[in-house]
Amino acid sequence: MTIERDLVVVGGGPAGIAAASTAASLGLTVAIIDERVTFGGQIFKRLGQGFDLESPDVLGKDYARGARLIKELDQPSITKFTATTVLTIEDNHVITSHPDEGVRRFLCKALVIAPGAYDRPVVFPGWTLPGVMTAGAVQTMVKTQQISPGKRIFFAGSGPLALAFSAQLIKYGAPVFKVIESAPFPSPAKLLSLLASVKGNWDLAGDALRYRSTLLTNRVPFHYGRIIIKAEGSGRVEEITHARVDKEWNPIKGTEVVEPADTLCLGYGFFPSHELFRLLDCEFNYDETRGGFAVKKDQWGLTRSSSPMPVYAVGDGTGVTGSYSAEAQGRLAGLHIANQIGSLATSDRDLTSKGFLKELHQRNAFQRAINQMFEVKHGIYRLADADTVICRCESVRAKEIDQVIDSTADVSVVKSYSRSGMGLCQGRNCQRQIAAMISDRHNLPISKINFQTPRMPVKPVEIGKIADSSIREEKYFIQ
Amino acid sequence: MSERAPFLVGYLDNETNQSALPKSSDVVIVGGGLLGTSLAYYLAKAGVETVLLERDDINREASGTNAGSFHFQIALHQLTPNMSDSERRRLADEVRLQVDAASLWDEIEKELDADLGVHFDGGIMVAETQEEMRVLQEKDAIEKEAGLESHILTGDEMRTFAPYLAPDLAGISFCPREGHANPLLVGPTYAYRAWQRGALFRTGCDVTKIERINNGGDLKGRRFRILTSRGDIECNRVVNATGAWAAELSAQLGLRIPLGLSGLHVNVTEPREFFLKSMVQHIGRRLTLKQTHNNTFIIGGGWPSREEKFPKRYSNTWSSTTGNLAVALRVLPMLADVKLLRTWSGVWAYTKDFKPILGESAKVPGYHIAMVPTGFTLGPMVAQMLSHYMTSPGDGKLPPEFNIDREVA
Repeated sequence: MTIERDLVVVGGGPAGIAAASTAASLGLTVAIIDERVTFGGQIFKRLGQGFDLESPDVLGKDYARGARLIKELDQPSITKFTATTVLTIEDNHVITSHPDEGVRRFLCKALVIAPGAYDRPVVFPGWTLPGVMTAGAVQTMVKTQQISPGKRIFFAGSGPLALAFSAQLIKYGAPVFKVIESAPFPSPAKLLSLLASVKGNWDLAGDALRYRSTLLTNRVPFHYGRIIIKAEGSGRVEEITHARVDKEWNPIKGTEVVEPADTLCLGYGFFPSHELFRLLDCEFNYDETRGGFAVKKDQWGLTRSSSPMPVYAVGDGTGVTGSYSAEAQGRLAGLHIANQIGSLATSDRDLTSKGFLKELHQRNAFQRAINQMFEVKHGIYRLADADTVICRCESVRAKEIDQVIDSTADVSVVKSYSRSGMGLCQGRNCQRQIAAMISDRHNLPISKINFQTPRMPVKPVEIGKIADSSIREEKYFIQ
Repeated sequence: MSERAPFLVGYLDNETNQSALPKSSDVVIVGGGLLGTSLAYYLAKAGVETVLLERDDINREASGTNAGSFHFQIALHQLTPNMSDSERRRLADEVRLQVDAASLWDEIEKELDADLGVHFDGGIMVAETQEEMRVLQEKDAIEKEAGLESHILTGDEMRTFAPYLAPDLAGISFCPREGHANPLLVGPTYAYRAWQRGALFRTGCDVTKIERINNGGDLKGRRFRILTSRGDIECNRVVNATGAWAAELSAQLGLRIPLGLSGLHVNVTEPREFFLKSMVQHIGRRLTLKQTHNNTFIIGGGWPSREEKFPKRYSNTWSSTTGNLAVALRVLPMLADVKLLRTWSGVWAYTKDFKPILGESAKVPGYHIAMVPTGFTLGPMVAQMLSHYMTSPGDGKLPPEFNIDREVA
């Protein structure tokens, strides 16, 4: 089945919703696609099936904001496609798969890609033990299923995430007993620069204070300048070890502290889901504080790609700057697309976009100030020992990868020699770690290292769901 | 089969690789694919001074991106519906060559003292229709004549022998000699063993030009100057083992090597419990299907990929993916719920007559080409033949039909 719309939006988080809703309200026909069963993305994740909400207030203002945004999609010119996974983008076709509907193709005049981000994997001895979870996974458990993964949760992370997630988990009733943050306590200079950009971000600043007070009132200690270095236990986490770090986040010997815990929650930020952008040959900047690969784009989100249609990149999948920035990016893309392929006059676009551009600049300025405070340092990639599994799908250990990177600086070559990155996660968990190891060995910045060649499908899919017996090959090479 | 992947240790360490090129060498091999690395091994083993230059990394192109199948049986693209006797004889000759190659693969793990994932677990060729069945029988007859063991099975016999196949297939042939190896390991292991025997390697070293040095016909003197992105090197003999790019360098010396290039699509799935010992092919459609010893399924067979600008080469298309998978499911319906993980594309270079180009140019003495259309199956054997030619003047004769000047119009 082929579905044709003016605009197709991939990703139904704040950025994708804002783009779809804005363009639709200006007269465009829109299809919005998300691989989950509900819209809202990770940040506005809904309660799981079978849960009733008596009072939305208990879930806080984010839940209400998410509900408002999701409601924006209720427009006659928007068609919603959930449980729909994009597998590839070829020419001007977005090709998707659905568990019951099978393969569907989407054709459009403009494409918005808002794929979001996923938790930054952190590799250290014991990181693959049951009970070690990313903040996103824990959040999903407590948000959608209302269950806590453990009785004694240790939270290790950095940046706004460490504070916000740990406080949120506590509010949901998850027993977090301690939080460590790898960055040092903010210097007065950095606090001042944060203050300088707080305009337009009082809500976020207020959130931060509330999160801090949640931790204080629950007597959950919050330590700066420490990083997780080990998790141990038989069959699952029983003990964790953390240590002080130097400026580069290298653990300092002799500062280790061992504590009992049954769950280790990791919140070291996010990696943008850049698979589709790589498939379309977009260009990237490398910025560790925004999660790594940030797509190059103009103020409307328009990228340069190999696709014949205009491709817009919005939200955290294009470099992590948070949900308010993501929403503003989506609105701006929606406005520009309505101007380019719809009937919105340029003057109207410029008039309406002023507010969103201002919002975007203020949000991004604040985010930059925060990012400088909590800049992720290279030490986060140096926690593995020789026997630590780096590629968990294929069980490839650090020592095997070390041997290969002695002779190559190419992630694809490491992959073909060691099998790292050949498993179900398609390299999402190990590629960057391997690139960082190459970076250390060959003294190259991560931005200069070749990653795995992007290939479709960008998500694994059952053969039977996509096989197409109507396609016949040419007879053979010889005619 | 002692070490797994011995090349992981010591070989091509960064410091050595970054150091300057030697000033000269007896032989310079251009291209670090399976042909280049195996030739480096056989030359080094014979005590010949050898330097191999590779513009990217070892084993990156066709040598590492093919599906690792041995093609000892006659393949689909070689057959035509009504074959003449001379065609039959030609095919039988080719099968004999493949049988020789099979003997090399028998010994390769011992020769290189490494586990290369070589398995001779047989190959099944399926026929869906009665017409295909007739072609299968003809193929079977030619193979038997050439000394390749083969059996035809139909009906219950087929279903008992291979219960995992679709029960309604017209029939199958089974060739016990068919097999496969891990293409990611063979080339690098040859390189590693060559290096241990004194061959030098440089990767990230792009050969930009080959110049002839005029030294008055002195065959002992340096005859070529190779210009690279990392400096010059002089040599007596040069071997062009650049595979799909063999024509480009040859053109600089005035030699025309007409090659056809085609991007080939390959699929790989998630692992499942091992059950499929033998490789499965289709006599009438494009399919090679095997379960690797990592338990994943590799599904290919010659579906095209799309040509892209350098350095992207070839991209995978949706139609080749889904078409290829449909043929796989027709033959092995039980794979329906196995997840496709990734596709990739390799480049296939071929000559008009599908025969190797192998040997020394009569027009440019000292200039050699080693290029094989069915490179994975025949590569190491052909390299061994060329090495023998280069080290045993007068004795090592190469098959005249591989003559490198034959296509120089």
